[in-house]
Amino acid sequence: MTVTVARTPPLTDRPKPARRRSHRSSLVPWMFAAPAILFFVVFLIIPIGYSIYLSFRGFRVEGGGAFGRRVETWIGFDNYAAALTDPEFVAGLGRVLIYGVIAIPSVLGLALLFALLLDTPRVRARSFSRTAIFIPYAVPGVIASLLWGFLYLPSTSPVNFIARELGAGPLDFFGYPALYFSLANIALWSGVGFNMIIIYTSLRAIPSEIYEAARIDGANELQIAWRIKVPLVSPALVLTGLFSVIGTLQLYSEPATLRPMTTTISSTWVPLMKIYQEAFMNDNLGGAAAASVVLAGGILLFSLVLLRFFQRRTFGENS
Amino acid sequence: MSIAQAQGLNARSGIRPRRALTIGGIVATAALAFMLSGCSSAAESSSDGPVTLEFWTYSLKGGDPAAEAIIDTYEKANPGVTIKLSEVGGTAETSSKLLAADRANETPDVVQVEYRALPSLVVAGVVKDITADVADSKDAVDENVWELTTLNEQVYGVPQDIGPMMFTYRADLFEQYGAKVPTTWAEYAEAAAVIRAADPTAYIASFSATQFEFFAAHAAQAGAEWWTNDGESWTVGIDSEESLATADYWQDLVDRDLVIVEPLLTPEWNAQVNSGKILSWAAASWVPSVIYSVAPDTAGKWESAPLPQWTPGDAAVSFQGGSTFLVPEKSKNAKAAAEFAAWLGASDEGSELLLSLDIYPGGNAGREATLTADPPKLMPQQTDFYAVADQVITDTTIPVTWGPNVNVAQTALGDALNAAALNKESFRDVYKATQATVVEDLETQGYTVSE
Repeated sequence: MTVTVARTPPLTDRPKPARRRSHRSSLVPWMFAAPAILFFVVFLIIPIGYSIYLSFRGFRVEGGGAFGRRVETWIGFDNYAAALTDPEFVAGLGRVLIYGVIAIPSVLGLALLFALLLDTPRVRARSFSRTAIFIPYAVPGVIASLLWGFLYLPSTSPVNFIARELGAGPLDFFGYPALYFSLANIALWSGVGFNMIIIYTSLRAIPSEIYEAARIDGANELQIAWRIKVPLVSPALVLTGLFSVIGTLQLYSEPATLRPMTTTISSTWVPLMKIYQEAFMNDNLGGAAAASVVLAGGILLFSLVLLRFFQRRTFGENS
Repeated sequence: MSIAQAQGLNARSGIRPRRALTIGGIVATAALAFMLSGCSSAAESSSDGPVTLEFWTYSLKGGDPAAEAIIDTYEKANPGVTIKLSEVGGTAETSSKLLAADRANETPDVVQVEYRALPSLVVAGVVKDITADVADSKDAVDENVWELTTLNEQVYGVPQDIGPMMFTYRADLFEQYGAKVPTTWAEYAEAAAVIRAADPTAYIASFSATQFEFFAAHAAQAGAEWWTNDGESWTVGIDSEESLATADYWQDLVDRDLVIVEPLLTPEWNAQVNSGKILSWAAASWVPSVIYSVAPDTAGKWESAPLPQWTPGDAAVSFQGGSTFLVPEKSKNAKAAAEFAAWLGASDEGSELLLSLDIYPGGNAGREATLTADPPKLMPQQTDFYAVADQVITDTTIPVTWGPNVNVAQTALGDALNAAALNKESFRDVYKATQATVVEDLETQGYTVSE
């Protein structure tokens, strides 16, 4: 730098400072980005790298004998083979899929419906309703599950009490297939508010001239909602849909919290429960790491495919 | 006595946005943190200076006056020793935390776990062989209790409490319904039918597929050995004919709707125990204090008897539950730690004091003290409770060996048995499948398994 400055003739010379600025400017962005990069590397890249490293390692007996010591060693792709051929892991993915098929459309459908209702011109108590629908989202997942769990258990459930008083048999919220709906209901209760806010925000961003034009053309509120609002908020729908899919594949705290209450939820009911079991109950960190890598890779791939598909349809003319 | 608890991993799930931080990431971050913290811990010498023993226990709770009194007694008698109590969860949680702590070189000094967790910790190289340190305590503990912590002729722990197997039941309702208190498992099935006939909403007990230790003990009573070793190789007997006979027994009761399929200690189970719809629990001497904690209003209506016999006239049983104090391999104060463990578990003073925690001491002095103690709060009227329990201990002649992969068996059996009970499938097949899983896991890890 100093050399460059020393060689710089009088200030009137234009090109040289420009070159000096380009030198500095190549460094400045990095300095601004450095904290983010540092955190990204320390808390994301290194742990992911370490996970991948762990996924190739396992405990194997050394020295022989009935009480031979288990020592951590390199075992190649054994963990991956075990994860991919594990019937419980695959069955867990299947259960998540059933849950997702029930939960995702109902959450997004209700969220869209509420957002559209809140956006109609003559709605009353708008901010109250918005807050009321949003509040369950602020309840932590474990608390929500416990709360619903008590509503589901035959002896403690007021729903069951009423059903019994009316002469109906005890309702089994934890049986099959009711269990999937009981779990989806928890997601519905806590997830609608958040998704509604995203869609609603997107609705508010639509310029009102479009509505005026539609009204002049004779469209009623229902037609405006269906023909104008829904297509215009489709990017928000794609976004919330993607969040929901990822959230579904990472389903953990609801079934894990409800598990002690019922016999129908096994300790490996969803993939993440299986991973937890391997890591912390069976002392198989390598196996858990391999299953995590498989799951994370699967989610990434699935999300990319989904995003690609919808991007072409929603933002087709833009790209 | 481990009770499955809601695992509080803070991952939010369901239809919510979230950071793409999988459990794998958490595992790795935690492991990394351990690695980093491990680097900074220099080896401290265990000289004669003041030592602080970190004690992981779920029986001695900080803030509990009885536990504080025990610690005070020891600290007064041993100036310079400070005991720091910390509760890290039940046996499963304690075991996994101990494994993590060992890999981070940050272990506590004394750890309480249930006997069944000991082999898996020993093969992980986490537990110190304290045979020489506690040799003097051997005479203060009965042979069949001391054996619980001896693997391959090496001692890995000092027994804290034991679980002589007992049948705890609602004496008032058994009498009211005309059910005979069972002395054999055949009579148990008869009593179950009598109770169902007398009150169609009541059951003799719940069938909880997750009470792995009970099934192991029941199979042992019938003559099966789930894990045995000859020092070189393992033999797994979960699918032995004796073991399968107990599976058939429970299948029959479930099929005939004589027991209700329901996990233990859920809000549902607690409500049914309180309202007199679940009438008994066959397990061990720690049952009364557990029932008292969830149904204190029913105190005075319960009694305990020896466990029903599998073969009439044969009173032999094994222990169910109970726990031991172990010293981690990497403890920096191992000598002081072993001394403390021996004092608390085996000395006259220590084992008598354990009785104040409402647990059944493993040491001889504690056992003798029970005979003059008041019965548990759940059955103040049953003055011979401890006499009955003491007889059961004398009858406890079946040694149980746990294998190095008990957790694998526990998960496999619990999940499959639950599914089989719901779908009316064969329990026998579940035991056979569990056998296959356990053998395969042992072989994968590199152990020799003989037929």
